[in-house]
Amino acid sequence: MLTASISLRDVGRRFGATRALADVDLDLKPGVIGLLGPNGAGKTTLLRLLATALPPTQGQVSVLGLDPEVPAERTGIRRQLGYLPQEVGFPRGFTAFAFVDYIALLKEWTEPAARHAEVRRVLDLVGLSDLGPKRIRAMSGGQRRRVALAQALLGSPLVLILDEPTTGVDPEQRVTLRTVLAEIARTSIVVLSTHQTEDVAALCERVIVLDRGRVRYDGPVTDLVGQAAGRVWLADEPDPAASVSWRTGTGRYRNVGVHARDGVEHVEPSLEDAYLLLRGGSPESKPAEEVAS
Amino acid sequence: MTGWHLDDDILRRYVERADSLAEGTSVEQHLLSCEQCRGRVNAAVDVVDLAAVWDRTRDTVEVPRPSVFERLLRVAGLPAHEARLVAVASAFRGVWLVGVAAILAFAALAAAVGHARGMWLFLAVAPIVPCLVVASSYDPWMDPALEPELVTPYPALRLILLRTIAVLALALPAVLFLGLFVPGEAPFAWLLPAVGFVAVVLAASTWVSPLRSAIAVSSVWLGVVWLLAARSGSPDAVLQARAQAGFLALAAGSFGIFLVRRRWLRQLRPGR
Repeated sequence: MLTASISLRDVGRRFGATRALADVDLDLKPGVIGLLGPNGAGKTTLLRLLATALPPTQGQVSVLGLDPEVPAERTGIRRQLGYLPQEVGFPRGFTAFAFVDYIALLKEWTEPAARHAEVRRVLDLVGLSDLGPKRIRAMSGGQRRRVALAQALLGSPLVLILDEPTTGVDPEQRVTLRTVLAEIARTSIVVLSTHQTEDVAALCERVIVLDRGRVRYDGPVTDLVGQAAGRVWLADEPDPAASVSWRTGTGRYRNVGVHARDGVEHVEPSLEDAYLLLRGGSPESKPAEEVAS
Repeated sequence: MTGWHLDDDILRRYVERADSLAEGTSVEQHLLSCEQCRGRVNAAVDVVDLAAVWDRTRDTVEVPRPSVFERLLRVAGLPAHEARLVAVASAFRGVWLVGVAAILAFAALAAAVGHARGMWLFLAVAPIVPCLVVASSYDPWMDPALEPELVTPYPALRLILLRTIAVLALALPAVLFLGLFVPGEAPFAWLLPAVGFVAVVLAASTWVSPLRSAIAVSSVWLGVVWLLAARSGSPDAVLQARAQAGFLALAAGSFGIFLVRRRWLRQLRPGR
């Protein structure tokens, strides 16, 4: 009997001289775990390690109590694994149904009737039940992303690894997907990386923040948001005391910083504020518009 | 209720729709209030499994028709699901195959008409055709879905070897056929180098991308042939038993390395 658990001990990964991941210690249980971090922080590397797509160069990874470096055990993991890579290409001329059907074949669904029923079930889950016969190349970006997600959901895996699942997906569909993932996470470990802090806030009970290959924060979302209490305030001008500030839709500036001055107008922090605070407002994490230093 | 129930005769007429309008109406009136008779109607009617009908209908619309090549593989005895796995490889699609075949045909034609450099051209091109098509059958650039493919329980080694064998089964006879038009012994000189290069590509793809390794191997081979042509003016050097044995050793050694290092195959993924 496999137990839905993942553990990483002192895990690191190098690519040549570049260290993508270092000293990662994690224990994951069923639930939705969000992975946040700037580009190049090691999110994709960590997800690929969990998805058995990449071996670590240091430390021990254990998925469902099995060792991904032992071939037989790796196959055991893969029978219970759904993986959505950051970029999925589709063979030319394939329809949504044909693609998911093909991956189902590789996932050992050899009996046609059962396989077709399963393919329909996952296409239904991602809201594409009517688009099965449509060619993927003729689909929108968000629809393609959902086709890719559908293949990860095949067979209701115990471990679901999703690298930026909501990229290009419209808000209504994002809400639908959250419902689907929350349901799966009752019994499965769902690890997802994203740049959308609102997805994490709405879906994850636990968040891991990566920065330059190291874990900067690992804990409940509420605790992370709590760290930003009293450190977010509105002002008419960008505040020099803030580490990040930006102009909001109302024309006022939202300031995030460790040391707020007295008498400022505090507002309720969001997860995004807390994330920016944790990142210390280093340049690559700043919002695109009107960043004051 | 009344204690009265439909008799068997009326029930049969109703089910077979042989009843009159009046009789049918009164039967239906009775059925509305009598659970027992409703049960008897249910039992008497062949229940159509609507779900199954619906699934069959959707299958007709949604399930893709197998390609000609896939059907060919099935005829050749491959199980349906493995035929699909092989046929998906982009190498069997479109311009790529046509392009490679055209170059090869041109080389064979040049050799066949007795052009001095034609035979050299054929010798240069023929061995690299199989390794280029094998590489493209599992290169992330040609098979964009490779990353999700390789983390399924289906063994990566089996997937790659299956595609390799299928590709060779297609490419080797084609090259062999074209070789028949080439005069002299050269038509078969390419066979062992070809096998050797395919093995080198398999082994090298545990480090770098298959297509890159195939291009590297091809470049080296073109250089060697060019040197030979410039120096000796005769392809005998390749035909010699020692050279042929060398290619055989290259094939065996590379294939060994490939098997030993096969766990690194899963790192194949689209480049950024």
